[in-house]
Amino acid sequence: MSWHGIRTVAALELRQRVRTSKWPVVLGIWVAVIALVAFLAYYATNDEQLRSGEAMYDVVVFFVLGLAMLIVPSLTATSVNGDREHGVLATLQTTLLTHWDIVLGKLVAAWALSMAFLVSALPFMAWAFFEGGVSFGRILLSLLVLVLVLAVICTVGLMFSTLTARPIASAVLTYLAMGALVFGTTIGFALSAFLVTDKEQQTVFGIPDNWYDTHQPPNVDPSDPTLTQEQIDQLMKAGQPTRADCTTFTRTTDVAHTERIWWMLPLNPFVVVADAAPSKPRPPQRNEVSTSAGFTPMRWISGGARLARNGPGGVSDECWVDEASSSSNQDPIEKALGTAPVWPYGLAFLLLAGTGAATVAGRRLRTPVRRLPNGTRIA
Amino acid sequence: MTIEVQGVRRAFGDVLAVDSISLTANPGEVTALIGPNGSGKTTLLLMLATLLVPDQGAIRIDGLDPVTQPTEVRARIGWMPDGFGTWDALTVREVLLTVAAAYRIAPDRARTRTDALLATVHLEDLADRRARVLSRGQKQRLGLARALINDPSVLLLDEPASGLDPRSRIELRDVLRGLAAQGKTVLVSSHILTELQEVADRAVIVARGRSLETQRLDDEHALTATASWRIDSLDLEGLTAWLADHHVPARRVGGGLTEVEVAGEENAARLLADLVRDGIRVTGYARSQGALESAYLAATEDRR
Ligand SMILES: Nc1ncnc2c1ncn2[C@@H]1O[C@H](COP(=O)(O)OP(=O)(O)OP(=O)(O)O)[C@@H](O)[C@H]1O
Ligand SMILES: [Mg+2]
Repeated sequence: MSWHGIRTVAALELRQRVRTSKWPVVLGIWVAVIALVAFLAYYATNDEQLRSGEAMYDVVVFFVLGLAMLIVPSLTATSVNGDREHGVLATLQTTLLTHWDIVLGKLVAAWALSMAFLVSALPFMAWAFFEGGVSFGRILLSLLVLVLVLAVICTVGLMFSTLTARPIASAVLTYLAMGALVFGTTIGFALSAFLVTDKEQQTVFGIPDNWYDTHQPPNVDPSDPTLTQEQIDQLMKAGQPTRADCTTFTRTTDVAHTERIWWMLPLNPFVVVADAAPSKPRPPQRNEVSTSAGFTPMRWISGGARLARNGPGGVSDECWVDEASSSSNQDPIEKALGTAPVWPYGLAFLLLAGTGAATVAGRRLRTPVRRLPNGTRIA
Repeated sequence: MTIEVQGVRRAFGDVLAVDSISLTANPGEVTALIGPNGSGKTTLLLMLATLLVPDQGAIRIDGLDPVTQPTEVRARIGWMPDGFGTWDALTVREVLLTVAAAYRIAPDRARTRTDALLATVHLEDLADRRARVLSRGQKQRLGLARALINDPSVLLLDEPASGLDPRSRIELRDVLRGLAAQGKTVLVSSHILTELQEVADRAVIVARGRSLETQRLDDEHALTATASWRIDSLDLEGLTAWLADHHVPARRVGGGLTEVEVAGEENAARLLADLVRDGIRVTGYARSQGALESAYLAATEDRR
């Protein structure tokens, strides 16, 4: 393996890609679609009442990732078996290039092309980043995560193209693998949530169930003319619990131990990207109660994944008493966002999978070959 | 830079492509590999070209084992596959420059080498065309240039003459003889026996994955080997009767020709002299097939 060899293969691949005229067209369509989505997202969320740049950020970043996951596999998924079909692979294998030169050269070329896609989407993403109130460090982090995720997708495609004889088969397998990562993990998590749900004793801090039995609301008729408005309010309050009424008690309920299955979630590239840089919460605005209003899928995904990882806590805080709602009692997702992130696990898994895929691809390209897959000729 | 193959065997699943092939190809010689379709020639060349591992047997190229020392072997060989594919988007010159880079040839040396080879295979005026547009014969010539780019001392050519026009074939012959004269080892598989007869020093005949015999093709051999001669005569009856009288094995072939088996050129000349002396009016007298053809047909006779 040498830098010279990798460069030779990468230059060959890139030259072929650039010459076949469909790539500039694809790139053009890609930019146009992303621009369209960015503008639509901007206008859709640019509402006086619901002004929310973070919704635009979420939409654009997810769209770039989703579209890239559709396009990038096609850069490598037919690379090796396609070359073999054209009879040009053996031509390289009999030169001084090693199998690692060929694998890494093809990867570098595909990755450089996927970078071209990312870079051409960058202006719109930058716009979204700023609308989303993401700090500069987080922008870099989410770009780095995107770059690495795309590299892993390239590698998985390349691996499948060394494993099957027919380009169609490897393309289908690559898209299936992408589907498994995105939908398989989510569906798997949702289904296995039933397996980890048990009836358990749970400690709760809140209003005991019997509180309402002992505190019957007084029978008042608001239209009674003998009562002043002040008296009515006082009487109504007497029927409502206050924070002082919350006690700690135990109760048997369904408890989902998501901390046993949370690891499925960060395998999903969307979760990794979302969790690496969720948009900042919108500063509370006039006449608004909750801060988590608005369309912010990345915050939800990020918070949800962390919540699942944290699992049911020791004491379930259910002291939902209206007067204290905005300060002491937070939305559980908001609270989870304050805990440790899950994206490093997801990224570590993806990088491990990428390394594994590259190793498999390298082995499959090693010559001389002892075992050939049935029905293939090496040249 | 000798190629030595000892009892090599290679199966693909339950298909035995090469059963047991042994051969030696010496430097300075052109060795021909001939045999029916599917007899394992391409498979053998793939093993020599460090692409396949033999199941059994040993291969040595310049004393090196292609299985354990593939890099050293690759530096010494030039391989031309039977179906030569090219990168369609590249020009002819770029194809050669890319392969040169893959052999780590310095760029300026690669350029001079590419130009020289393009001249050798007469592709200069197509040098800046896309390889995709080349005709089959032109692709084949590009394949030969590709195999020569690293100045190999061992050449493995799989049916290099297929698709070539007559002039290109003659030029290929000259190229191969020139390479052998430089002391290189040339192993060439082909189905065009008359062509090989002209260029090869020895021929290895393979059938059903086995090497049957190695035939020397130099002049001394042609002088003494049994060959078929075809006689055309104005009085066919007289000729047939004469041959029967003199116990010469003969048979009628198409077009009023008679074919006889004669051992050596000396005897062939004497037979013609006798025929003419006895008043048989002979209008044509020629070898019906080359020595290589006879040997090939004899060796692969069981297929009929
Ligand atoms: N990869 C493979 N998988 C299965 N069978 C194979 C494979 N490669 C070759 N064969 C079989 O092995 C036998 C020898 O094939 P090979 O290509 O070596 O023949 P060949 O002598 O080059 O024939 P031709 O003169 O037609 O080029 C054939 O029967 C072929 O079908
Ligand atoms: Mg063949």
